[in-house]
Amino acid sequence: MSNIHNETNTSFENEDDSDTFEDEFSSDDSKDIIDPLYTYNRAMTTFNDTAFTYILNPISEGYATITPEPIRQGVSNFIHNILFPIRFTNNVLQGKFQNSSDELERFVVNSTVGIVGIFDPASSYLNIPAHNEDFGQTLGHYGVGAGFHIVLPLLGPSNVRDSIGLVADAYLSPLVYYKGLEKYRLPSNDVQTFAILGFDIVNKNSLHLGAYESLKKDAIDLYPFLRDFYEQKRMTDIEE
Amino acid sequence: MLKNILLILIFTMTSSYGVEEKNIKSVMDAKIKQSIDILKNKSLSQKQKEKTIIKIMDPIFSYATMAKISLGKRWKTLSNSEKKAFTKAFEHKMKHSYIDKLKLYNNQKVITLKPKKVKKNRIKLTTKIIGNNETYKIVNSFYKKKGTNQWFIYDVSLAGVSIIQTYRKQFKAFLKTKSFDALLKTL
Repeated sequence: MSNIHNETNTSFENEDDSDTFEDEFSSDDSKDIIDPLYTYNRAMTTFNDTAFTYILNPISEGYATITPEPIRQGVSNFIHNILFPIRFTNNVLQGKFQNSSDELERFVVNSTVGIVGIFDPASSYLNIPAHNEDFGQTLGHYGVGAGFHIVLPLLGPSNVRDSIGLVADAYLSPLVYYKGLEKYRLPSNDVQTFAILGFDIVNKNSLHLGAYESLKKDAIDLYPFLRDFYEQKRMTDIEE
Repeated sequence: MLKNILLILIFTMTSSYGVEEKNIKSVMDAKIKQSIDILKNKSLSQKQKEKTIIKIMDPIFSYATMAKISLGKRWKTLSNSEKKAFTKAFEHKMKHSYIDKLKLYNNQKVITLKPKKVKKNRIKLTTKIIGNNETYKIVNSFYKKKGTNQWFIYDVSLAGVSIIQTYRKQFKAFLKTKSFDALLKTL
């Protein structure tokens, strides 16, 4: 590959913007990360990484070769659409009324014109953006700190706040079985809940093949990299 | 006449390092469009695509600055030859990482927003990739090189995660227990 070096390369002494860059990037340098579950998290990361590489990914790849992309996209759209209660509730809880109204519009349009959410005319024809809010973000919105990092088995990086968020959102999710709420739920027992979840993960992954491997390439040490990436991403998600 | 045109062409090709403030959006739009066209071009091999896109993007990236920021305070302690070696290794790593991510592009719609001037010499340019059920944001951060009016990219954020910050954290953790030479080797 031809190396077109910038002319600025040769004299490092001329780079006198150094101090302002330091200010910009050193905001969380000084804080040493509190990671009481470090050993467990490291081990679970290795476990998840192995499970992904040797189980999930091959299944997704096989599934992708026999199932046309529009069908897999349709499944993804259907599942995304049906999880509307979670997004809507969390947008409202955060006072994001324009976003809530966008989500409502998307749900109505995609459920009807989009045939129970398999298609996404709300995006392709009406250009109404999705607003993916969850309860972890809602808690963060109101100042709840992330708490320490926890790597969940198979589900990946999380933290105290976001794990609580997952439980709360499961209560609202039409795809999670809850005794007493059978009327509003698709699965009729826990096994079915996990089957749907598993299928969703295989399907979603099949639409993003190569993404995880590409992300890993920037890692020198996998666990701290994924942890910091996750925490940074959540901070940004909460802020917007 | 021909000689003048030739001179202008050579001038723009070789000294078009960086970009002027007023041209940031138009230059980025053009480069992004060129890159997408190349990615869609079935007659080119993967390697050819990668080589060409790197050539298109190279002039606006300041790998030297990125390398320097990623090492933080440690940078000042390095000798000139160490700085050179590190910058070269870091540049190589950045390019490979970048190329790898290009493979993930799947003909989605790409929209570039108006550049935001966050400080006198810092501009952020956001590009949105409209995927299904999710929009991916890429933010390119530009700085103005002192003494010129050329702007260069010093950081890229993907989905809210700054790539330089990520490397900075990683290098800091690495250098706590290992030597600088070990780091060079890893890169």
